[in-house]
Amino acid sequence: MAAKTEPAPAGQVAPAGSDGGVIHNIGYRRYEGARLGRGSIFLALTWHSLRAAFGLGRGAKAKIFPALMFVIMCLPAVVNAVSLATNPSGGAIITYDDYVPSIRTVAMLIFVAVEAPNLVSADLRNHTLPLYFARPIGRIDYPLAKLVAFVIACLLMIEVPLVILYVGNVTQVHGAHAVWEQTLQFGPGLLYGAAWAVLLASIGLLLASVSGKRVFAICAVAIPLFFTYIVAHVLEQVGRQAFRPVPGCVGGVVRHAGQVVCLHPGFHPPALASLAGLISPFTLLGGLLRWLGAPNPSPAGNLQATIIGQYGDIYGLVFVLLTLAAIGGLILRYRKVGVA
Amino acid sequence: MISQIMPVARGRDGTPAPGAVVQTAGLTKVYGTTVTALNQLTITVPPGVTGLIGANGAGKSTLIKILLGLLGPTSGTAAVLGHDCATEGFVIRTLTGYMPEHDCLPPDVTATELVTHLGRMSGLPSAAARERAADSLRHVGLYEERYRQIGTYSAGMKQRVKLAQALVGDPRLLLLDEPTNGLDPAGRTAMLDLIARIGSEFGISILVASHLLGEIEQICDHLIAIDAGQLLRSDSVSSVTKASAVLLVEVDEGTDALAAELARRGLSPVPFQRGLMVQLAGDETYDVVRDSVADLGLPLSRMEQRRHRIEELFRADPTVADAASADAVPASPAVGGPASTQTNGVTSGS
Repeated sequence: MAAKTEPAPAGQVAPAGSDGGVIHNIGYRRYEGARLGRGSIFLALTWHSLRAAFGLGRGAKAKIFPALMFVIMCLPAVVNAVSLATNPSGGAIITYDDYVPSIRTVAMLIFVAVEAPNLVSADLRNHTLPLYFARPIGRIDYPLAKLVAFVIACLLMIEVPLVILYVGNVTQVHGAHAVWEQTLQFGPGLLYGAAWAVLLASIGLLLASVSGKRVFAICAVAIPLFFTYIVAHVLEQVGRQAFRPVPGCVGGVVRHAGQVVCLHPGFHPPALASLAGLISPFTLLGGLLRWLGAPNPSPAGNLQATIIGQYGDIYGLVFVLLTLAAIGGLILRYRKVGVA
Repeated sequence: MISQIMPVARGRDGTPAPGAVVQTAGLTKVYGTTVTALNQLTITVPPGVTGLIGANGAGKSTLIKILLGLLGPTSGTAAVLGHDCATEGFVIRTLTGYMPEHDCLPPDVTATELVTHLGRMSGLPSAAARERAADSLRHVGLYEERYRQIGTYSAGMKQRVKLAQALVGDPRLLLLDEPTNGLDPAGRTAMLDLIARIGSEFGISILVASHLLGEIEQICDHLIAIDAGQLLRSDSVSSVTKASAVLLVEVDEGTDALAAELARRGLSPVPFQRGLMVQLAGDETYDVVRDSVADLGLPLSRMEQRRHRIEELFRADPTVADAASADAVPASPAVGGPASTQTNGVTSGS
């Protein structure tokens, strides 16, 4: 009611002392102020969607999952900082590029599967789209605003832990040189995290936009992401069995997942193991990292490192094509969607 | 009846459309290769409240989508407030508020949140969007309820929210698609009053699409009837309703004697159901019927104003239409259907 504070209308006194049921003729006031252009409306929709990705502006229940996943994502960085603070000589246990792939994979899979439907599926379910497209919003603006918002949401999930990791490391090293060393590793880590965010956000939104029903949309995202990951791993393990050291190989030998792996330039792992990683977005991202040349793979990361063999270029290409295809598919989806 | 005088397409939208808020010429929309939704439709919608009448599937929603620039016509042109629908969709959608026919509201947000957000989507800065959302919701009669989630609302309240979101951007033209859909009689009356008020007091032109003529003729200044995508008739409400109304008279006994007496007094009564139907020329028709019944001393049981089917009503020549419909009436059971015959009894008049 009036006492509950409307923003007081300029130049007019709201009817005071009203007691329900009374209709006040407040008259109609034209809006004479400035109107935002298409770009500002796009930003407003992006901001609204970004908030929705973390359950802001919705009930308390909607905030549980994103908050939980965020905490899980940050946990390794916090553990790293604490471990460094108590035992400075121990050295960092987590790297910027890989972070902890298993935790990153699981947490991001859940985050994307649960939150992508909140951005796109709800408007489909409630038939809200006609209300948007009857406004100064283009057919392409809506999916792009959703995409930008969700990429930013995924970036926050991935990069904030890296920042915590960086801060934890930097506070324990001494000298400008050591800080610079950390920064040199931190930068590529952020960029690689951005690759995660762009790929997962575009695939997640495309899959979530197939259904207006929330449960179906969650399944549409989670099931393909999860099963391709399993299949990629099984195939990779099958391939790995054939990945034995060659006696007398030259070119260096490293320990890899408990096995001795030959890095002889002429020796390549079998194609099955090398290409299996293309099946799942998560192993594709792992392969992308190997192709880009991970500066120092962490022990934890190595356990799940994607084998790319001589197919590194293909990983780069598939990453770019898959991202573009997902974004293109999302735009096409909203060109076709019915209005009214 | 509302006489809407306020100037419409004025102000920031540049060139005012001289005397028309919507204009189409030869507008045709063919879906695929076979389904013709609009067929050479040429209409002019004057400022004020205009009813767009047609049965389901007549092309009302297609027309509205083309006017909003959401759908391209197959051929022909359309302009809203002087802006071309094909090329200036963004400008038109800034100046227009749209209330869709179907349910379109998310259940898990409050009306205030939704309308504020949609105000921003209409191009309002956030402070203005909050203020206008509160105003719009008050205008449609939602007070403290607006802080509740929409999922808890009644059908009537949801329709009001749909109207409020169309109003929030301060449009010059409202396109309302079946605004009384799913409402009970009281809700319908309230919604119609609200629309009439927006048209008369707020100075906003309104195009109301409906398949219920009897309902929206009460609030419209002008009626446009379309059928199968073609224009049936476009005329002011007064000329449409005067020419087409008939009076149904029922007496408990002596129907034949009354028919003879009415014919003697210059009317041409036609048997209909258990009574007689005469063309309603004006108040004097009531007097003639009253005097005839009184002179014969018959027990009058019913006297009500009725309307013919929409298509008959909107024939080019209303007198021909009436003669034809009068002939067709006894044989046509469809006349009694809810959409085809509108009653305007003494009690239901506005």
